[in-house]
Amino acid sequence: MLCIDGSFGEGGGQILRTSLTLSMMTGTPIRVTKIRAGRGKPGLLRQHLACVRAAVEISGAKAHGMDLGSMTLEFHPGPVVPGDYQFAVGSAGSAMLVLQTILLPLAHCTEPSRVMLEGGTHNPAAPPFPFVHDTWLPLMGRMGYRVDATLHRHGFYPAGGGQVEVAIQPKTSGQTLHLRERGAIRSREVVAILSNLHAGIGLREIKAVYTALGWPSDSGRVEELRSGRGPGNALVVRVECDHLTEVFTGFGEHRISAEAVGEQVADEARAWLDSGVPVGSHLADQLLIPMALAGSGEFRTLPLTEHTRTNIALIERFLPVRFIVEADGPAFHIRVEPTNEAASAN
Amino acid sequence: MGKKLVVIGLIGTTLDVGKTRQRWDRWRPSVSICQHEDLVIDRFELLVDERYMALARTVSEDIGSVSPETELRINRLEQPDPWDFEKVFAALYDFARAYPFDLEKEDYLVHITTGSHVAQICLFLLTESRHFPARLIQSSPGAQGRRSSVGTYSIVDLDLSRYDMIATRFREDRREGEALLKGGIATRNKAFNAMIADLERVALASKAPVLLEGPTGAGKTRLAHRLYELRKGRRLVDGPFVQVNCATLRGEGAMSTLFGHRRGAFTGALEARKGLLLAAHRGLLFLDEIGELGLDEQAMLLRAIEEKRFLPLGADQEVTSDFQLVAGTNRDLTRDVRSGRFREDLLARINLWTFRLPGLAERREDIEPNLDHELDRFAAEQGTRVTMNREARSRFIRFATSPEAAWNGNFRDLYAAVTRMATLSTNGRITESVVDAEIARLRGAWAPGDGAEGGFVARFLSPADRERIDLFDLLQLEQVLAVCVECRSMSDAGRRLFQASRQTKASSNDADRLRKYLARFGLEWKDLATYQPGS
Repeated sequence: MLCIDGSFGEGGGQILRTSLTLSMMTGTPIRVTKIRAGRGKPGLLRQHLACVRAAVEISGAKAHGMDLGSMTLEFHPGPVVPGDYQFAVGSAGSAMLVLQTILLPLAHCTEPSRVMLEGGTHNPAAPPFPFVHDTWLPLMGRMGYRVDATLHRHGFYPAGGGQVEVAIQPKTSGQTLHLRERGAIRSREVVAILSNLHAGIGLREIKAVYTALGWPSDSGRVEELRSGRGPGNALVVRVECDHLTEVFTGFGEHRISAEAVGEQVADEARAWLDSGVPVGSHLADQLLIPMALAGSGEFRTLPLTEHTRTNIALIERFLPVRFIVEADGPAFHIRVEPTNEAASAN
Repeated sequence: MGKKLVVIGLIGTTLDVGKTRQRWDRWRPSVSICQHEDLVIDRFELLVDERYMALARTVSEDIGSVSPETELRINRLEQPDPWDFEKVFAALYDFARAYPFDLEKEDYLVHITTGSHVAQICLFLLTESRHFPARLIQSSPGAQGRRSSVGTYSIVDLDLSRYDMIATRFREDRREGEALLKGGIATRNKAFNAMIADLERVALASKAPVLLEGPTGAGKTRLAHRLYELRKGRRLVDGPFVQVNCATLRGEGAMSTLFGHRRGAFTGALEARKGLLLAAHRGLLFLDEIGELGLDEQAMLLRAIEEKRFLPLGADQEVTSDFQLVAGTNRDLTRDVRSGRFREDLLARINLWTFRLPGLAERREDIEPNLDHELDRFAAEQGTRVTMNREARSRFIRFATSPEAAWNGNFRDLYAAVTRMATLSTNGRITESVVDAEIARLRGAWAPGDGAEGGFVARFLSPADRERIDLFDLLQLEQVLAVCVECRSMSDAGRRLFQASRQTKASSNDADRLRKYLARFGLEWKDLATYQPGS
């Protein structure tokens, strides 16, 4: 059994999710202690529990400590069973984080799966649906993952109620990921998604992004949702390049002006645009596990976040791989390769 | 996986309301408690009156959206008037009685944030009485900000936590209160301890007069003082403790001592006098031997108790004094009422709470703890610690608890015995021989033939002196002394003792006759004057 200190590095829910995914992928029982020990509400919260439950369900795992507030979790996975699943996350927690936990294990099965996810689809501090759909899944597709995600209903905090359907085909042998360049920018777009809110908010957000990035003012559009529950607002900046599409997302909040929301997203986009690297910080996190499972691959990205460093250290404990991180000017180059033991074992 | 969590709550007909999307900006208690990251409700039993079914549907949908884990059940609860205490209570009571609680598989929370105040009180009561075998969940809106619509919650277990601590605290207070009343003496007598427990409750709950009955020396004064300390400690009184023995108040001075007088109210009233009742304002007045009070004073006292007002001598305006009265008596006041010595209405007013202090002979198991207490007291007063060796101690206790020991003077006798033994101890140790001598002294003092209950001869003469007196004289002396201690002056006593013979004499000096009689036994009037009954 692999013992994991849930409080090391970034010390949050990501350690738990990565551990669950890799535990199922490798069939390794795990014991995660000090889960979210340093956080205001430590231990398993509702959204974390949703991920654990989903993992238990697809892998027939035996789990101990699967309770709210629990700071220790023991997880003994069984074989992952493909099929039709439905997972709901309460308190408008991110359904995308549940997807992130179970996608790889299901994709490595020999039969397809269909997963219906309910909860938040556009959440801060989680990959929002536009990023999953436009950025992450196409790159996954290049690595052999055939996943089709459809957004049936948006889910924003606090009302939640979003719905995403994901069809997962068995993985084929894909290409090794080499993302050293982004290539030329083909298109750029700013979309303000507004659920039950005044369209004027979206227009102000878009204008703020144009102004901040010096873009011509013809690339924005407001997407008004009337069917969704509750109010919600996400501001999506999408940049399509030759080799990938990057998505940056901001969220409207009470008492934060539309301009501030726009400027914040623009700042994030500008940091990526100016750096010239293909892979943004959030995307880097999402590519580590599939690349490690492939045993090879590389990309250039922005300076590593604590999140990314923690993930790397964790993956290296589960898989016979090694990440080589090298500074490359202001950017960083990340490469994964099998460890010597793994190489000699092969 | 633990037990299922079930919330039972009334729909908030004001707080839960909202149809437009703005409802999500507001704190709606029934929806909000389903939105917490660290609380998952498996089932929500929503109690709804017929009129609010539309609202219940919206709330139900919204809960489904924010909390897909929650199974929502809508229960119809007739509540035509949510402010009708009886009907609301009955409806909730019926719901609780009919509900199939399964405590082995489910945990229950009663949401007391929604519903009318009447409903909240009923839910609280029914939870406290375990009709709802549940904890309470109380939710409240958050501070302004992103999460304000979710707010906060707290779970209160009425059986545990701080409520238990409060209960413990109360018990602790009571123990302290009782310990205080017992003067820190670990008394063992059941009847006495029960009496103290009752007195503790009365002392803290009531301002009504208290009557302490008991023989001389049973400790009435001490108990009254401790009762005052207890009430003062709980801030129930902030005035002083004022005490007086009514036996010392007979005659002209009694009125003015108690009720005060104006300057010039009578001959000799050169200065105004406040009086004890006024001095005891906001405090406690202890009137010992209240049966000795004259009828006029009784009448005044009754008015002062009932109306908290009275007229000082010579004054034309009433004064106000709010005091608590504690009265002491060793007489049977009911008999005094029959014989006309005591006002019936005053007795009725002061004997609402009557506590009888048993004499020491009735509390033999308390002699040992009191012996220790007296030794401690002696050490505190004299600054030297005196101990008893084991044999001496058991010998004394054996005698003290035997039927032979009469303890006529009760605690006063014990106090005197310990003081004598401690004083006669050598090198701070009370030996067997000191104990033997004391036992002999006590035996003598309580010897039959010493006369009436008080044993006045024993009180004023040493056993050695008494041995030289014939029984014939002893019996006479006892009665003479009994009269003397009741009189304020030697002349007074002489007049009563020689009432018959003085009629036939041309001139008489009764006081002189009495002095000569007393001198035969080595006694002087001033010796007797130091004695006060019941002090």
